[in-house]
Amino acid sequence: MKCLVTGAAGFIGSHLSEYLIKKACKVVGIDNFMDYYPRSIKEANIACLRKNLNFEFIEGSLLEVDLLRLLNGVDVIFHQSAQAGVRASWGQNFKIYSDNNILATQMLLEACKQSPVEKFVYASSSSVYGDTKDLPMNESSMPCPVSPYGVSKLAAENLCCLYYKNFGIPTVSLRYFTVYGARQRPDMAFHRFFRWALEDKPLKVYGDGEQSRDFTHVDDIVEANWLAFEKAMPGEVFNIGGGSRVTLNEVIELMKELLGRELKVHYQGTQKGDVRHTLANMTKAGEKVGYKPKVSIRDGLKTEYEWVKKLVSGRVVE
Amino acid sequence: MAISQELLDILACPKCKGDIYLNETKDGLICDRCKLLYEIKDDIPIMLIDEAKPIEK
Ligand SMILES: [Zn+2]
Repeated sequence: MKCLVTGAAGFIGSHLSEYLIKKACKVVGIDNFMDYYPRSIKEANIACLRKNLNFEFIEGSLLEVDLLRLLNGVDVIFHQSAQAGVRASWGQNFKIYSDNNILATQMLLEACKQSPVEKFVYASSSSVYGDTKDLPMNESSMPCPVSPYGVSKLAAENLCCLYYKNFGIPTVSLRYFTVYGARQRPDMAFHRFFRWALEDKPLKVYGDGEQSRDFTHVDDIVEANWLAFEKAMPGEVFNIGGGSRVTLNEVIELMKELLGRELKVHYQGTQKGDVRHTLANMTKAGEKVGYKPKVSIRDGLKTEYEWVKKLVSGRVVE
Repeated sequence: MAISQELLDILACPKCKGDIYLNETKDGLICDRCKLLYEIKDDIPIMLIDEAKPIEK
């Protein structure tokens, strides 16, 4: 089986590509190395993959490449690429988000009309819910994003549903809830916290730290992608969470345990576009595709800590 | 190790979507129509229009 993984050099895309290779798939990865964070980190993400003959990699943009050629022989698409960052999505930057998150998805879906695939798995986001009153968040809740980023992810998700209904493209959308683990992007909270802790700097927390998230380990996300390919009915949307709601303050307590020392914390004002709480209702994902998160926050944090430690000490590659 | 034929087969010029071919030194892909060279660095073809180098002639 041949898979296309978009965003293959990124945090989730690189883990997913490794998983697919282990499942004896051929993988074509594409990534545009957007300068959102250092290229060296992304290069390290795929260093191991690139030794594998079943992995082909292209540096390119979905907005530019010849998608029909790219899809030649591809059985499944795992569309993971997106311009990330909730807080950066305001203002002039929005074009980057509409191009890379909405337009690129639409172009890929269009290409599938001519080059059919078995499944098109789209990486959506819990940010489509915004500050909903419904907790846990249900797939059937009214989406109400509070950031332009969330709007762009929801628009692309809606396009996936539309292309299924109108053209039969077998799309499945997975709404990821705050993903963490080794290779987490440098702008994300846990990565920053560990880095600051290792550099003996105070941890900067937006708000009072009592905001909570359904943190999801990247291994569980990867597994969910495979289940979505194998078992999901096309046209469906699924919440993919980690199974529990944890506050940032609780995370910091766990980090103190991991590091075996106290950590200084500086609380700062809240940020526009930040959501107070997230929690996934995973009844649907459990019943329809057999998804069940396996990695606890305690174990998961340890994997990320070990990786950030290597990164900070300059032993990046793995 | 250069890039594989399999990979070459799915690549096109991102600007005109036309055919491209490996240059003699095997470190770039050429589009004759656009007169552009797409470099291959560490075996990774860089298929970005902004990164392409004009071919002088
Ligand atoms: Zn051309």
